[in-house]
Amino acid sequence: MTNLDQFESVFKSADKAVYTYDRPTFDRVLLVTDLNEADAAGIANRVRSFLTEIDEADTRWDTLCGDEFGSVQALLENIEKQKPDLIVTYRHLHSEAWKWPHSLGEYLDVMTQATSVPVMVLPHPDAQRALPHSIKDTDRVMAITNHLTGDNQLINMALTFTKPGGTCWLTHVESQPVFERYMDAVSKIPGIDTDIAREALGEQLLKEPRDFIVACREVLDAQGLQVRIEEVVAMGRRVDEYGELIAKREIDLLVLHTKDDDQLAMHGAAYALAVELRGIPLLML
Amino acid sequence: MHHVSTTVTALFVFLLVAMILSLAFEEKIHAKKSVIVGWFAAITLFMAAVFGLVRPETVEILGHPVTLPVYIPGIDWEVIAIILGSSLFVDVTSKCGLFTWIAIKLTKASRGDPLKLLVFYGIMTVVFSAVLNNVTAMIIVGTLSGVSLAKLRLTNKLLGFLLIEGFLTNVGGLLTLISSVPNIIVGNAAGITFVTFFIKAGPYVVVATAVTIFMGARLFRIEALKGDAAKAEAASLVAGFDENDGIESAGFFRFGTAMTGLFIIAMASVSITPYVKDLGMGYVALAFAAIMLTRYKATADRFYQAIDWDLLAFFGCLFIVINMMEHALVLELIGEGLKPIIGLGETVGAGVLLVASAVASSVTDNIPLAAMLAKILGGLELASDSPFWWAVIFGANLGGNITPIGSASTLVAVTIIHKNKLPMSFAAFVKVAIPFAALQLAMAAAYVLIVLG
Repeated sequence: MTNLDQFESVFKSADKAVYTYDRPTFDRVLLVTDLNEADAAGIANRVRSFLTEIDEADTRWDTLCGDEFGSVQALLENIEKQKPDLIVTYRHLHSEAWKWPHSLGEYLDVMTQATSVPVMVLPHPDAQRALPHSIKDTDRVMAITNHLTGDNQLINMALTFTKPGGTCWLTHVESQPVFERYMDAVSKIPGIDTDIAREALGEQLLKEPRDFIVACREVLDAQGLQVRIEEVVAMGRRVDEYGELIAKREIDLLVLHTKDDDQLAMHGAAYALAVELRGIPLLML
Repeated sequence: MHHVSTTVTALFVFLLVAMILSLAFEEKIHAKKSVIVGWFAAITLFMAAVFGLVRPETVEILGHPVTLPVYIPGIDWEVIAIILGSSLFVDVTSKCGLFTWIAIKLTKASRGDPLKLLVFYGIMTVVFSAVLNNVTAMIIVGTLSGVSLAKLRLTNKLLGFLLIEGFLTNVGGLLTLISSVPNIIVGNAAGITFVTFFIKAGPYVVVATAVTIFMGARLFRIEALKGDAAKAEAASLVAGFDENDGIESAGFFRFGTAMTGLFIIAMASVSITPYVKDLGMGYVALAFAAIMLTRYKATADRFYQAIDWDLLAFFGCLFIVINMMEHALVLELIGEGLKPIIGLGETVGAGVLLVASAVASSVTDNIPLAAMLAKILGGLELASDSPFWWAVIFGANLGGNITPIGSASTLVAVTIIHKNKLPMSFAAFVKVAIPFAALQLAMAAAYVLIVLG
């Protein structure tokens, strides 16, 4: 016979997150470098030609050179004073630790968490790790998350940077190891059929982001946005999966969240991705 | 009529009272209805055998002599078949997504306006109670109310919605012959057809629904949204519901919809359909269940496992107990007791019977009451349009609105209330319910006496 949970589940599943397209604007862009003024100007020009999609007539481009800050405190004060809408920088400012690809450097680490401004991280100018297609244009942008459903900010940000006629990948990768750990626990509970649980839970976890992407496509079609939406929804090991996707699809820009309401440190998976994916620019929200 | 000593009848009266009290305190005893009534069926059968009230009878079925144990012919198999077939049919049909599709469509049509939502959900509760059964209706509309009001950030109105929907399940349960078990039992005993039942009960259901919704909206301050901004926000929130999400296959959805329509038509026309009229409504219900199960032919056992065997066993055992009470002349005794009420005439008598049935139904299960009164009234050889039948039908259904244990659907409403962590004690429920039940019963009494009398 029918039961409460059966219908509650149906109605909760039918309650879909609503996508609304809202293009953010960037009135002030701040390039933060540890270089002198002349070298910084070269990077600034390259960045400006890379980010044509947000470069409006009244967009103000500022550069913070290496001699303008000597500590994290000074950097944060500068950012607070300038109030940029976007910060563009790279890993390991005022440091040679870029030679060892195991961290982000203290400046970037604090900057991403202590300010609410999106931070675009470029490959280090000296590290020679940039992929051949890197920092040229943004016709292949990828938004990555493990919870795409309802994340309008991430999608809108990715779409804003995608050139007209380009492709925006909306990706959602569920952690296979976490899933397996839960399934292992389920397999030890006699009251739950493990095969049914594996199939139903796996399907439901991937169904929600797929449904949301369908909703996004409908809204963007109605808006007449000239961007192709591609879907990548899968189970996998996040860093491996994304590394493979980026190389295979020659992604120009990766957009991801780094903040976690429950902690001061960077969101777990984002940190690993930010450390390891050094070949292309990352936009860290 | 065989001779039964007064002592034996008194003993069986004691057993009957004990069973009714046990059912009333079902929650305290921590025993399922089927087990409680099963105990009493076993005891009454044994006592009846000891006192020589019953013995196996050999009957001829299709030309073959068959000796049946006494408890087999005592059960009303037509009622069991209707309940089993209808439950299975509704359970399988709900998988096609039709009911959730209707529910979500109405939610979106309300554009998130609380008052419109209450009106739509109220009407939906009544229609689902009539077409499905009141428990399923309460489950569908109650769970949707929880989800949609949370989405609209109106959880402070959820208690009002759930209570009004709970009260309306018992009003909707009056709409058709198969909407509630008392209707099936009393309707069958009286010989009321599906169409007659609908025509006679329909006007009351429409008026009682409108009055209950109006009264509920006033009492729980459920008002229409004011201001364009609030209306636009509410509309955008409910726009996220996808009515197609629960539909596994468009083909099965269409098939389920068509079968639901056909089921209602078939049930309504049993008495005039050649051959089928000889087989009865139980056959129709079971046949439709079998057709719907074709979709899940390889996994039909899942639906059999989900059948509410407690309910079916309860009915089976209850019929046995009542049959034994008949043999022990307990029903005759109660009938004698009812004679003064019936003697008051079709006006006052029917009114008193209606109120008495409602009060009795509010504290104990309305099914034993309906079964017993149907048997007693059947013995009085009343005409099928006698207002006494309708007094029992209206009283047994509406009495469920007086207390949270008065009917299965109000119990479901209270379960959903508690699941949503809303405070609602037995006394608090009765305090809210009394004005609704009193008004519904007063209207029912007037309707039975003036319109059906």
